[in-house]
Amino acid sequence: MATSPNSAAMSADAAVLQRYVPSHTARPAGDAQLFRRIAIGILTIMVLAPVGLIVYQSFLSAPFFSPRAELSLDAYRYVINDPTFYKALGTTTLFAFGMVAVAVPLGGLLSFLITRTDIRFKRLLEVLVLVPMFISSIVLAFGYTVSVGPTGFMSLAVRDLIGFVPWNIYSLAGMIVIAGLSHVPHVYLYVSSAMRNLPSDLEEAARTAGASVWRVSLDVTLPMVLPSLVFAASLNILLGFETFGIPLVLGDPNGIMVLTTYIYKLTTLFGTPTYQLMAVVAMVLVLITLPLVWMQRRLLRNARRYAALGGKGSRVSSLKLGASGQVIALSVIGLWLFVSVVLPIGGITVRAFVDAWGEGVNLLERFTFSNFDRMLEVPSLVRGMINTVILSVVGGAIAVVIYLVIGLAGHRNRGFSNTVLDYIVLLPRALPGLVVGLAFFWVFLFVPFLTPLRPTLVSLFVAYVVVGLSYGLRLLQGTLIQVSPELEESARTTGATIGRTWWDVVIPIVRPGLAGAWALIMIIFLREYATGVYLMGAGTEVIGSLMVSLLTTGAMNTIAALALISIILTGAGLALALRLGARIHD
Amino acid sequence: MNGRNQGRTEMKHTPVRGLLGCSALVCAVLAMSPTYAQDAALIDAAKKEGTVTIYTSTDAEQSQALIDAFTAKYGIKVAYNDVGTNGAYNQVISEAAASQVTADVVWSSAMDLQMTLVKDGYAEPYKSAEAGSIPSWANYQDTLYATTIEPIGMIYNTGALEEDRIPKTRADLIKFLKDNQAELKGKVATFDPEKSGTGFLHHTNDARQTTDFWDLAKALGADGVKTYSSSGSMKETVVSGENVLAINIIGSYALDWVKETPNLGVTFGTDYTPAFSRLALISKGAPHPNAAKLFVDFTLSKEGQEALASGGLPSVREDVTSGLNIKTLNEKVGGGLKPIAVDEGLLEYMDPAKRVQFFNDWKAAIAG
Repeated sequence: MATSPNSAAMSADAAVLQRYVPSHTARPAGDAQLFRRIAIGILTIMVLAPVGLIVYQSFLSAPFFSPRAELSLDAYRYVINDPTFYKALGTTTLFAFGMVAVAVPLGGLLSFLITRTDIRFKRLLEVLVLVPMFISSIVLAFGYTVSVGPTGFMSLAVRDLIGFVPWNIYSLAGMIVIAGLSHVPHVYLYVSSAMRNLPSDLEEAARTAGASVWRVSLDVTLPMVLPSLVFAASLNILLGFETFGIPLVLGDPNGIMVLTTYIYKLTTLFGTPTYQLMAVVAMVLVLITLPLVWMQRRLLRNARRYAALGGKGSRVSSLKLGASGQVIALSVIGLWLFVSVVLPIGGITVRAFVDAWGEGVNLLERFTFSNFDRMLEVPSLVRGMINTVILSVVGGAIAVVIYLVIGLAGHRNRGFSNTVLDYIVLLPRALPGLVVGLAFFWVFLFVPFLTPLRPTLVSLFVAYVVVGLSYGLRLLQGTLIQVSPELEESARTTGATIGRTWWDVVIPIVRPGLAGAWALIMIIFLREYATGVYLMGAGTEVIGSLMVSLLTTGAMNTIAALALISIILTGAGLALALRLGARIHD
Repeated sequence: MNGRNQGRTEMKHTPVRGLLGCSALVCAVLAMSPTYAQDAALIDAAKKEGTVTIYTSTDAEQSQALIDAFTAKYGIKVAYNDVGTNGAYNQVISEAAASQVTADVVWSSAMDLQMTLVKDGYAEPYKSAEAGSIPSWANYQDTLYATTIEPIGMIYNTGALEEDRIPKTRADLIKFLKDNQAELKGKVATFDPEKSGTGFLHHTNDARQTTDFWDLAKALGADGVKTYSSSGSMKETVVSGENVLAINIIGSYALDWVKETPNLGVTFGTDYTPAFSRLALISKGAPHPNAAKLFVDFTLSKEGQEALASGGLPSVREDVTSGLNIKTLNEKVGGGLKPIAVDEGLLEYMDPAKRVQFFNDWKAAIAG
């Protein structure tokens, strides 16, 4: 149902193509170049409008709309001469690479165990592994403070046992481990969707030849999913550069500053917000992105090599772990789940039902439901919950359709527009949500025909689509790329148009991936908090951004209650999506 | 009691009006009769506009009573945008530049940003009918009005510090910080003035009003003070015992926090308790100018102030009986209440050179 507008657009497009593609072309029935160009062109405008605004702003001496604004390099001069900037840049680099070093190996391992082996409780694990993604990093950080912070209940328990607390989550190392563990699902999603469709004959051959499961994973499976690992690693480096919540909550007290918190500081440092300085730092983040995309493209130049799902319809069979293998694998996953799911969610849950905690407080005595009292009394909180659900469920579904259209536009696209697409997609991911949201606020304010949309959820939706672009699109592309070209080519030789080929061959094959993508996008939209800070207004409140605004006034009880509600909402949504996905799968 | 309070209010303002050469009684009549006539016309016009849009940094939890009372009384809808101090400022200047003014009333606790908006011409002067009932320091040229008075104080963890150890004066506090370094090391919190506009206002106001602010900063530095960008994270760390006390926090919030948090205490300097205010202005080119005026009037009226005070935001009027008012608040904090005046002094630290100097001094002082 969700894909019908897409099909209409595509068959109309195919008809258009019939007319416009000259008959002497070498291609059988056109390559849908017009469709590709239109789809990618619209996306480019959606992304470049805010990004272009930021670029322009960085070369001005005042807000771009101010009469005092003139072209100037002062902002660059300030940032280049600010020692705090270099310190933040260094810390951010360490943080991002550290995070990747934790998340990618662990995410790859989990993907292998869950998709390629006969590990037990597979169905359950598939869901649990995603849970850290449910939680926005700001909430995650609070959850950790309550459980393993200096006076967290776990820390106090360990201190009673061994006399001291052996960890410090307020250190850079602590932040890296927390961020790394919480980004494992991001790696898992990319790598597991690639692994799931691998034929198992190679692995089986290696096993028959006597290789151990671990050897198989390293020498056979790993090379085949290398592109998805590269995707995941470079995306996570970007995410590391863009992370805001964890450094804000955990780095703040000890003065550990990263680029995003440096930007945050620039909003208050000069009294009135200095957008030009914020824009310069955003530019730095963009400049870091470009070589990463270039590197990705080089590595993936020959994507055909990785197409693994052939037309022969091979069934995936699992590698046998054996008894001790099961124990080891389940222990690794169990430990990771304990640290990255039980600790933060436990912290938030505890916090939502107590009015005090920490040193010398008996949590059982402080049990209360009062934190939820105001939830239904304050209209903005109620609206926030409703809006969040609408944006993630309905908006998420529409976003999947949009990403699919873009994904198809880029699918087996040999044109120049594909190069554009590769760069466009990662640009918004490199920018902090706060900055993207601010830029979209301006776009909806200053572009005349868009102004009526500003006070509606549409403005938030558009910003969310752009912010979630890299996740959603890469996920769909990862699925699309595994449809072997022979399948499409055979359809084309029997006379199908490219639109018909996509509709009858490609989309049915990737359909399970679409349900998964919907679940993912829903989660991303649910947990989003920074993007909405500048965009939301009366009537368009969302939970994540409400929490940020409540944080400044200290309504921690309400924040904890909201956080728990958003976790429950996401859990419910995911359960639903998985049921849906499972049905499509069978 | 009510009547007595009102009488006192009139007495208090008599000297000001006396300058104009009329007695209090005549003046009251002169001031009030046109007001009532104007009110009826204003109310009609405002009702026709039907809605009023507020940009604010105040959580709906605190202001819901005010909003509900306003809508109940006049049937005018309130579009309440809780966008934070920076958000409010940003949206106002952006929308003005795009000729899309949306805010009718800007109501924010960032006193310096509000004054900047007035100075940069984003505000429309309006002499509120209620202007006579609030202190003179709370009204800047009939354009910017203080709607609350909120003390700046200290919170502490009652499990870690017994009440009788809590310092009462500024001098005591500095001494306490110096004398208990071993106990307090790494367990004292305050706002980071670089990251928090509120913190900047509190600290620079102290630097302007007191002589021993830098002694305090040095004492904090010697204790390895930790600085935070939001009230929320400071409160949470004191509740959990990670920090034992936090200095220069928003006392109006803290007075509410201690009610629902058993191990949290709040205290104010008996010799000196500065207080900030949430300032309201009507934006220039407001789409609903009459509703905006009516909302400002209502916010400053006894009824509106009662609603705010009941939500935990103490009133600038003396005749308010629910919650705290400026008089009962002063008694509660020990008599040293010193409101931050709504005047151009707020802009002193908007000057980049003075700002940078302050940050440098601050960082040097707390480096310990």
